[in-house]
Amino acid sequence: MRHTNIIVAIAAWGCVLSGRAQTDRTPALQSAEHNGWEYEVKAGVNIGGASPLPLPVEVREINSYSPKFNGTFEGTVTRWLGRNRRWGLSAGLRIEEKGMLTGATVKNYSTEIVYEGSRVAGYWTGYVKTDYNTTLLTVPLLADYRVNDRWKLRAGLFSSVKLDGDFSGYVSDGYLREGTPVGEKLTFDDGSSAPYDFSSHLRHFQWGGQLGATWCAFSHFTVNADLTWAFSNIFESSFKTVSFNLYPVYLKLGFGYRF
Amino acid sequence: MKKESIRLALLVLMAGLMLSSCIREEALNAEADITDVSVEGVTLIRKPVVTNNEVLFYVNGWQELDRLSPKFKTTDGATIEPASGTERDFTRPQSYTVTSQDGRWKKTYKVSFVSDDVATEYHFDNMKWYEYRDSWNPAAPVQKLFHILVDKTSDGHEFEWGSGNSGFLFAANGATADKYPTCQEEEGYKGKCAKLQTVSTAAFALLGTPIAAGNLFTGTFELNFSNPAKSTRFGVPFRKKPKELVGYYKYKAGPTFTDKHLNKIAGRKDSLAVYAVLFETGDGVDYLDGTNSLTSDRIVLLAQLKEGRETDEWTRFSIPFKAVGGRSVDPEKLRQGKYSLAIIMSSSKDGAAFNGAVGSTLYVDELKLFSE
Repeated sequence: MRHTNIIVAIAAWGCVLSGRAQTDRTPALQSAEHNGWEYEVKAGVNIGGASPLPLPVEVREINSYSPKFNGTFEGTVTRWLGRNRRWGLSAGLRIEEKGMLTGATVKNYSTEIVYEGSRVAGYWTGYVKTDYNTTLLTVPLLADYRVNDRWKLRAGLFSSVKLDGDFSGYVSDGYLREGTPVGEKLTFDDGSSAPYDFSSHLRHFQWGGQLGATWCAFSHFTVNADLTWAFSNIFESSFKTVSFNLYPVYLKLGFGYRF
Repeated sequence: MKKESIRLALLVLMAGLMLSSCIREEALNAEADITDVSVEGVTLIRKPVVTNNEVLFYVNGWQELDRLSPKFKTTDGATIEPASGTERDFTRPQSYTVTSQDGRWKKTYKVSFVSDDVATEYHFDNMKWYEYRDSWNPAAPVQKLFHILVDKTSDGHEFEWGSGNSGFLFAANGATADKYPTCQEEEGYKGKCAKLQTVSTAAFALLGTPIAAGNLFTGTFELNFSNPAKSTRFGVPFRKKPKELVGYYKYKAGPTFTDKHLNKIAGRKDSLAVYAVLFETGDGVDYLDGTNSLTSDRIVLLAQLKEGRETDEWTRFSIPFKAVGGRSVDPEKLRQGKYSLAIIMSSSKDGAAFNGAVGSTLYVDELKLFSE
């Protein structure tokens, strides 16, 4: 519900902007548009998660999932090419958050917990709560195709630098086999839990593919949807504790203003 | 319009994620635990303890452990080698290996049957000779007449088993040591053993003691001509509460049962006696004797082998000490050393009254006395 409110607020802001701008275009902008340049600002939310694909056998049940509110803000420049301006290339600069909150039941899941002040690696069976949150500076490079006056499609690649990141959580209602699946059993039940924190192992750079569409509601006001799919694991390759790769897959939904 | 298209896009995305994110079929178990244990044929004194690589069964020290078949439950799908229920000798710990369902992980468990009971052990492996010096003729060589079995007490001191051999001495008439009622025998259950045999004392028949049953006991022997049954002085001070007497025996009854007048009693078969009594001393009573060793009201605890039978195989017995006449051991008196323990064995149960069958033979070995 909160998210809906925010989307409505952004939409309202977009409407106001578009209403005003239709009358307020500077000669510089008119000239730029004439030469095939298009400038946009976009705001939206990232909905998705960092997921192993497919889900590894260790995961037995997803008990809860929240995409969190991951804001994105982006400026995009597009250069339309050719006489009919059907194809174009665009680049952008985007500040975005990607995160999720999940609760899962796992079996024999490789992890490392903090137990009585020390780190204990092993295999966990039970409940795992994960809180993933990153702030990224992203540069998308895309090819654009204008279907008609209303629709634009785009596809390309993006790369991101991590500005801040957190991957932590806790385990509860289960047990850890220390070291190997036949190691000593550390049981956590009756509300006891143990935290884990892999934040320092998050990768600094990631890249992936992006696929999106824009619908021009009004001449300046746009609705955008972009699927971003990172091709790199969220963790550094030297980090082996989580035995499978997690790929951030997010749908970015938002509104834009086209100058 | 806007909202619909957003919803549609969201739905498509979620559907896509769902498709690729289906919960996959559960992997085979990687764990290899023993999850539960049980065993029959032995009394467990507390719940078995199962750790990550050890199983401990708690038993009384006198339990026989050489042929037990413990059963194990393991993590679903895991296998155990040797199989659950396999009969093995647990006088020493045994190893079991559990292999996980996925076959990738193995864990070895040490399975032990443990007891914290301390036993006093009697092996009958050592003896010394009763030597006779002719005081009238100091020049004559010392004669070695019969065996005195020697063992160690719980605190490590050497002690001599009592027997009636010195009473037989007068009737022995030059018999070799192995013809005496009590002697050491080479072929024991382990090492040597004690041999008790009921023998004829032909010359003494007129005195009302026509036979001498082989006997062996903790205590001393002082020949009492007026009442020979009182010659045995049973019991030595004992400061612990005995719990169980364990040992091995072989027995053969003699062919002809006679009473103390040497009258044959047809149809009666001789039988052995193995028992132990804890009794209170004091009031001038320091020991029990052949007349009251099972009947004295000073007896507090009695352990008695009741199913003794003829057998030519070494047969294990394990007999618990039980309270007699509602009496109980007073810990304070125990500390003060006011109790004595007598372990008594005889080749003729009624030998103290000179009823028995000549030729009855009892072999005894590896006695263990468990105490609290």
